[in-house]
Amino acid sequence: MNTYLGGHPAPERRFSRYVVFALAVVLAVGTLTARLFYLQITNGTEYAAISNRQRTVLEAIPAPRGQIYDRHGRMLVKNVPTFAIKVRPADLPAEMRDEVVARLAALLAIDPAEINAAIDGNPGSAFDLVRVAQDVDRTKAQLISEASFDLPGVEVAVEARRQYSDGPLMSQLLGYTGPISAEELADLRDDGFQPDDLIGKAGLEKQYETELRGTYGSERVARDRTGRKTQVLQTEEQAIPGASLRLTVDTRAQKNAQKALKWAMDKIGMTRGVVIAMNPQTGEILAMVSLPTYDNNKFARGISTRDFNKLLNNKDKPLLNHAIQAHYAPGSTYKLVTGTGALADRKITESTRITTKAYLTLGDTKFYEWNHRGWGPCDIYCGFGHSSDTFFYQLAGKLGIDRLAYWARQYGFGEPTGVDLPGEVAGIVPDNAWKQEALGARVFPGETYQAGIGQGYDAVTPLQLINAFGALANGGRLYQPQIVREIVGPDGKVVRGFKPKLLHKLKVKPSVLQTMRNAARNTVLLRHTYNLVDLPIKIAGKSGTAEFGRPDSKGRLPYSSFFIGFTPKDPRNGSFDKHDSELIVMAFAHDSRTKGNAATEIVKYFFQLHYGIKADYRMPELLERTNFYSND
Amino acid sequence: MGVIRAEPARVTDWAAKSVGAAWRAFDLQLATYAGLLAAIGLVMAYTNSAENGAAVIDASTTFIRGLMWAGVAGVAFIIATAFDYKWLKTLSWPTYALQLGLLAFTLAFGDGIGNSARWVTLGPFTFQFSELAKILMIVVLADYLARNHHKLDSLGTILSACVLVVPPLILVMIQPDLGTSLVFAAILAGMLWMSGASLKWLAALAATVVAMVPIAWNYLLLDYQKERLTSFLNPTPDITGSGYQLYQSQIAVGSGGWFGSGLTNGTQAQGDFLPVQTTDFVFSVLAEELGFIGGLVMFVLFALLLWRVLVAAWRCRDPFGTLFASGLASMILFQLVVNVGMVMGIMPITGIPLPFVTHGGASLVSLAIGLGILQSINIRQTRAEW
Repeated sequence: MNTYLGGHPAPERRFSRYVVFALAVVLAVGTLTARLFYLQITNGTEYAAISNRQRTVLEAIPAPRGQIYDRHGRMLVKNVPTFAIKVRPADLPAEMRDEVVARLAALLAIDPAEINAAIDGNPGSAFDLVRVAQDVDRTKAQLISEASFDLPGVEVAVEARRQYSDGPLMSQLLGYTGPISAEELADLRDDGFQPDDLIGKAGLEKQYETELRGTYGSERVARDRTGRKTQVLQTEEQAIPGASLRLTVDTRAQKNAQKALKWAMDKIGMTRGVVIAMNPQTGEILAMVSLPTYDNNKFARGISTRDFNKLLNNKDKPLLNHAIQAHYAPGSTYKLVTGTGALADRKITESTRITTKAYLTLGDTKFYEWNHRGWGPCDIYCGFGHSSDTFFYQLAGKLGIDRLAYWARQYGFGEPTGVDLPGEVAGIVPDNAWKQEALGARVFPGETYQAGIGQGYDAVTPLQLINAFGALANGGRLYQPQIVREIVGPDGKVVRGFKPKLLHKLKVKPSVLQTMRNAARNTVLLRHTYNLVDLPIKIAGKSGTAEFGRPDSKGRLPYSSFFIGFTPKDPRNGSFDKHDSELIVMAFAHDSRTKGNAATEIVKYFFQLHYGIKADYRMPELLERTNFYSND
Repeated sequence: MGVIRAEPARVTDWAAKSVGAAWRAFDLQLATYAGLLAAIGLVMAYTNSAENGAAVIDASTTFIRGLMWAGVAGVAFIIATAFDYKWLKTLSWPTYALQLGLLAFTLAFGDGIGNSARWVTLGPFTFQFSELAKILMIVVLADYLARNHHKLDSLGTILSACVLVVPPLILVMIQPDLGTSLVFAAILAGMLWMSGASLKWLAALAATVVAMVPIAWNYLLLDYQKERLTSFLNPTPDITGSGYQLYQSQIAVGSGGWFGSGLTNGTQAQGDFLPVQTTDFVFSVLAEELGFIGGLVMFVLFALLLWRVLVAAWRCRDPFGTLFASGLASMILFQLVVNVGMVMGIMPITGIPLPFVTHGGASLVSLAIGLGILQSINIRQTRAEW
């Protein structure tokens, strides 16, 4: 490069440096092209799929929830459209949250704390909608919708809410729906449950969640980076409405049961009671009332924390179905077990006479007859009819605790009946093994006496009790009580028809049960149950009084009363030699402390209402309060 | 008379000859490739404007602002071409002062996201002076190395060149703008290489830089910068955090296929999944909507453009011109590789714009000025003949 220009030497140009630079350009562009090819052509399909997946999302289309009807087709719940206010936390700027929540609370006229609690309790992710208010009226919904600019992250949604036709009458059975909790969502997410789902929380709504819920459909929805829906692209799967339930429950019977129970409760001033009516031939529950109760419509509308706490703190536990979710000492009604056991184990025959007296002595302890007199020599008809404690102490002694427990289990005590309602408890059937494990000692003879008359450790649910007497009434078949008669698909086809579910047959001769039925009839005939015998229908049954809790200042314990009664198939002319009863009713009056047996009065009133008996046989004077343990 | 009549005729002849010679020396190819790349940038501005849902023809859209900046860039290009580049040699030190002044001004009055100061707002426009500073840096370095082009075997010359780069580099680092400071370094490296500086010293210098990487990593880089630098190595595990942009960008590029989804149909961009889709990640939109073919066309245009810049460097008889062209080529190549590599997940995230295509007035106008100077160099090499 020796060219000179204008006296200056030409710059030295090194060709090799240019070559290297040019190669760098070629290499760079080549590498970029290769990478582009790798991403777009080699892996293009895969990336396109990812892009499609994140751009669009399958959103659930909620299925209309199944209806619930009573046994005669009366609609007990329907779905009504309501407005719900939902918040997507991701779209609610943290620094604006207090302001937005306050404004929203003012518009909704609720406590901001409730909105905050809902947002903080969000079971889903920050991109999922959280329901902060349900069943908002149209005007408020409109106001909120119009104020959306000032309420970032707040959305007004239309959703279906449950409307229960009878409210408190059926609350304990139907239960209610409510927003899914974080724990529930964790369990159910894989089954397609959504973070803002309303699901069954109690009763049949919970028990039959799967059936009622139906199958959610899905639609492909385009969304942007924040997860916000931009448009619905197409429906992938139509939602299939939930199946409907037809119950065994008869609204009329339910109303009668509630009416009878309420009458007695108001009269006595007691606060807790249960009435159940069943068909002993099938295990169908015709009525089940547990008071106090609650209004499930309040829950369906989104109950306020205040109202909910009030229910929670009520000492009578309105949210509990006392027919199945609590257990109580059965008192003399348990003598069914002792009597059946003694006959079946041939400890006595139907004509064996046993001396009843003022009291029995065991060691230093006196075991008193309830009337402190006794009836002298008594057979089973006499002993059961008068509900003689000394009679059954002796039978229990003959049987021993383990055989007594065996017969209790035969009647279904000690384990849940399996009724199709959630939360059923098992009760307690004490025997040596149970006591050894629970209390570390064997059962003392005195405790066996107590167990024989349904005191001490015995604990049963009202449903177990009526079901046991049902087995007596139907000739020895222990059925699983049922509350849903059939499940009907959205197309009207019966998905699951009704079939009685036999748990087992009692291992006892029919004659033993016939004896016990007539003994139960004797309870009525002997006027142990006052004027029950005067009714134009034939009733057999057993009353019971059970002490519980702590003694008062005079050493007297509060007590509850039971009565279970059943009628023959032909209630006016039938006979208890047969086992054709189609109606059995029980009442439980907690802490009744009345002159007469409160439960008997309740059952009597129910029968009057049920059979349309015009004359009124009720004896309100028996419902006066007393603390005297008067009538067993 | 003759004389009187001859005067204007000579002037006319001279003018005709001069314009003709200048036109012959003007590199039309270079201008064409640059123009096409700028057009691609406008197309991307258009598609991004359409996707944002706003009316495309509206003064506020990226597209319209892009058009206005393209106009400004065109004018800047013509002025720079007409301007005799030799003045730059005379004005080298004032240029250096101007560069430092602009960067200091940015630091003092600039805005940015968070506590940064990267651009200056002038009325409705924002201008990132660091873009212009890159071109000014090339001018300053070209002049310095050209003046010392006989002493390029000496370590002193090389180190002095490095020292010249240090003040602007530090000013940019403070903004903080790691990307632009890396561009300064790349310009320096490219120019030293093309100047013919001693290989021995260049190797020593490179070794020193490599040795200093751990120190810079521990003491100079901010946490988010480190995170961005490393996230490209493994973007998928943390797709919601720093790897998000990268992951989304790769999905966008990957879903383009051979021909892309068509302009304004990019689902990634439309769904707003892509961050900074008009600026640093503009190539991912291009790749998604125009596909492999579109990307390839852009690469080829860049390759041709760089080829023309290198040709200009080779043909130039003036060491300043050669070095200026080298610096420009180094800058464009480095930005291309780092930006597109970043979008495709083979380079760390640094926030370097894609020359001509990234939406941004400062970048485009600065490039126009740079190319204008290059054309000025081209057309003024033949002047010695007359």
